[in-house]
Amino acid sequence: MSAVVRIYIKEMLSVLRERRVIFTTLILPILLMPILMYGPLLFFGNAARQTQEKVQQVGVQDVPEAALQRLRQAKVEPIPTQSPEADVREQKVQAAVRFQGGTFTIYGRLSGATQSSLVVSKLETALRNYKDELVAQTLRTKGLSTEILEPVQIRTQDASRVQERAAGIFAFLIPYFLVIFILNGGQAVAIDSTAGEKEKGTLEALLAAPVPLSQIVIGKALATLTVALTAALAGVIGIVLGGTVVRGLFAPLLQRQNANIGGGLSLEPWAYGALLATSILFAALMVSVQLSLGVYARSYKEAQSLMAPLLLVFIIPLLMLQFSDFLTQQSWFYLIPAFNVMLLLDGLVKGSAQPWQVTLTWISTLAYAALALGLAVRSFRREDVVFRN
Amino acid sequence: MVETQNLSKRYRHFRAVDALSFRVGAGEVYGLLGPNGAGKTTTLRMLATLLQPSEGTANVAGYDIRQQPLEVRRNLGIVNGGMQVYERLTGREVLRFFASFYGVEGRLFDHRLEWVTHLLRMDDVLDKLVREMSTGMRQKTVIARAILHQPPVLLLDEATAGLDVFARRALLDFVLEYKSLGKSLIYSTHVMSEAEEVCDRVGFINRGKLVYEGTKDDALRLGNGNLERAFIRRLEEAA
Repeated sequence: MSAVVRIYIKEMLSVLRERRVIFTTLILPILLMPILMYGPLLFFGNAARQTQEKVQQVGVQDVPEAALQRLRQAKVEPIPTQSPEADVREQKVQAAVRFQGGTFTIYGRLSGATQSSLVVSKLETALRNYKDELVAQTLRTKGLSTEILEPVQIRTQDASRVQERAAGIFAFLIPYFLVIFILNGGQAVAIDSTAGEKEKGTLEALLAAPVPLSQIVIGKALATLTVALTAALAGVIGIVLGGTVVRGLFAPLLQRQNANIGGGLSLEPWAYGALLATSILFAALMVSVQLSLGVYARSYKEAQSLMAPLLLVFIIPLLMLQFSDFLTQQSWFYLIPAFNVMLLLDGLVKGSAQPWQVTLTWISTLAYAALALGLAVRSFRREDVVFRN
Repeated sequence: MVETQNLSKRYRHFRAVDALSFRVGAGEVYGLLGPNGAGKTTTLRMLATLLQPSEGTANVAGYDIRQQPLEVRRNLGIVNGGMQVYERLTGREVLRFFASFYGVEGRLFDHRLEWVTHLLRMDDVLDKLVREMSTGMRQKTVIARAILHQPPVLLLDEATAGLDVFARRALLDFVLEYKSLGKSLIYSTHVMSEAEEVCDRVGFINRGKLVYEGTKDDALRLGNGNLERAFIRRLEEAA
C-alpha cells in the first residue's frame, strides 16, 4: 500500500469519526435543500391560490355600479373610501380602485412579493374583462363583430430544451449549489488536515516520517476531494430528490397553481458523466487552493478567515450565471478559472453545452488544478510556512 | 551515529544556530542543554531534516541530512514537547499508521507493538481513542510512534513538558532502557536535573552557540556537583 493511500485512509477515518463534519457536509444538504428551495415556492404558490379563491376587501372611489358588479364576480368586496391611496399605504385594505375622467387607477403595495400585488392582479383582470365587455357592447350596437378586435391569433410556445424545462427555474441553481457545496464540503477537511494538524501538533510527526512531501499532499488532497464531491453530490441529490418528492406529494396543488417547479435533471448519459468530470476537476482545483491556504495559516480560525473570501470570490460570477442568457458567450470565457466551470455546468444542466466548451474548460481547469497542487506541495516544503506559529 | 559539522541556521540577520559541531556515539545519551530560544529545537529539526541548514551539515546513522533526507528519516525518531498524535484514531491505529511508513507491517508490527507497549507500559490504552487518553498516555503514544521502527537515533526535545511526575519518571526510565539497546539519543532540555539523571555527555548551547561540551561528570565538577551552576558559570565565562 502506498503512502498516498495510507494518508488518504487516515484522513477519511478522521472525517468519518467526526459526526459534526458528516452531519453538516453530507446529511444536512439532503435534508435542508428541499425545504430551502421548494418550501418558499410552495408557500407562495399556496398563498397566491388562496388569494384567488378567497374574497378580499378593496377600497373603491367613484367606481360605476357595472364595474363594481364585475369586481364582486371576481371575489372582491368593494368598500367605499375617500382616500384609496392612503388606505392601501396604511394597509387598511390590500388594494383600492378609483375611477376618474374615464381612468381606473388601481392602488397597491407593489414592492416585492406582497399579497397586495396578487389582489392588484385580480383587480386588473376583472377591470380588463369589464373594459372588453364595454368594447363588445359598443361594437354590437354598431352592428360589428367582436372578431375584428382579433384579426390574428398570437400563441407562445416554450421552445427550450427538455433538459432546461426539467431543471426549470433551478437550472442555474444546480450549478450554483454544486460549486458552493464543493467549496464548503472540502473546507472543513482541508483546514483540519493542514492548519488543524499544525495547531494540534500532529503535522511535525507526519513530516518527520520518510514520505515524500508530494505524497503527503496528494493523500490529503484526495481525502478532501472525496468529501467535497460527496457533499456536492448530497446537495444535488437533495435538490433532485426534493423536486421528485415535492412533485409527487403536491401534484394536485401544483396542478392548481399551474406551476412547473423544475428541480429535475433530464440529461443524456454522457452529460451526467461530463457533469461529474467537471465537478471533479473543479474540486481538484479548489482543494489544492484550500490546502495551500490551510497550511499557511497558524490555526483553524486563521484558516477559516483566509478561506472566507474564497467563497465571496465565487458568489459574484455565480449570481451572474442567472443572466448568462444575456451574455454573448466568448470562447475565452471558458479559460477563466472557476467561471468557466460555472458556465459549463450551467450549459450541461440546460443541455446547451458544446464540445469545444467542454474541451476548453476541462483542459484549462486541469492545468490550473495541477498548478495549484504544485503550489500546495511548495507550501508544505516551505519552512517559513510549515513552522509559522 | 550522529555527527554535526559547523551546523548553522540563519533567519535573515538572526543566527538561530551558529556553527554547531558535536558527536554522539552508539549507546550514548547526549544532553543538549540550554535556555528557551537557545537553538535546541532548531538543531534537532535540522537533524530530522525538517529544516534545511544554512551552512554546515550533519550525518545521522551514516546518512547526510542534506543529500539523503529520506534515509535519515528512516533511521531516526523524533519527539518534542508540542508533538501530538491524531486524536480521532486509537493508539493502535496511530502506531500502525506511522509504522507502515518504515515497512513495519503485518507480524513484524505485532511483535514491535508488543515490545513497545511492554517497554512503555501502555498496553491497556492501545484501543482507546487518543482524545480519551490522559496526557501521560498520549505522550507515551507519541514516543511509541517514534521508536516503533527501532531507529538507531532518537531525538527528544523537551519531551517531559507538561507531564505529571509519574509520566515523567516513566519517560526518564525509558531513555535509559533505550540507551541500553545501543541506541544514540539526543536529550534536549532546559531542566538540568533531568539531564543529570540520564545524560552521559552534555553540550551547553546559548544563542545558537555551543559554549561547553564534556562528560556529565566533568560538567558536574565544573559546577561543584550541580549542572545548573556549571551551566551558568560557563555562560558567564563565555560572555
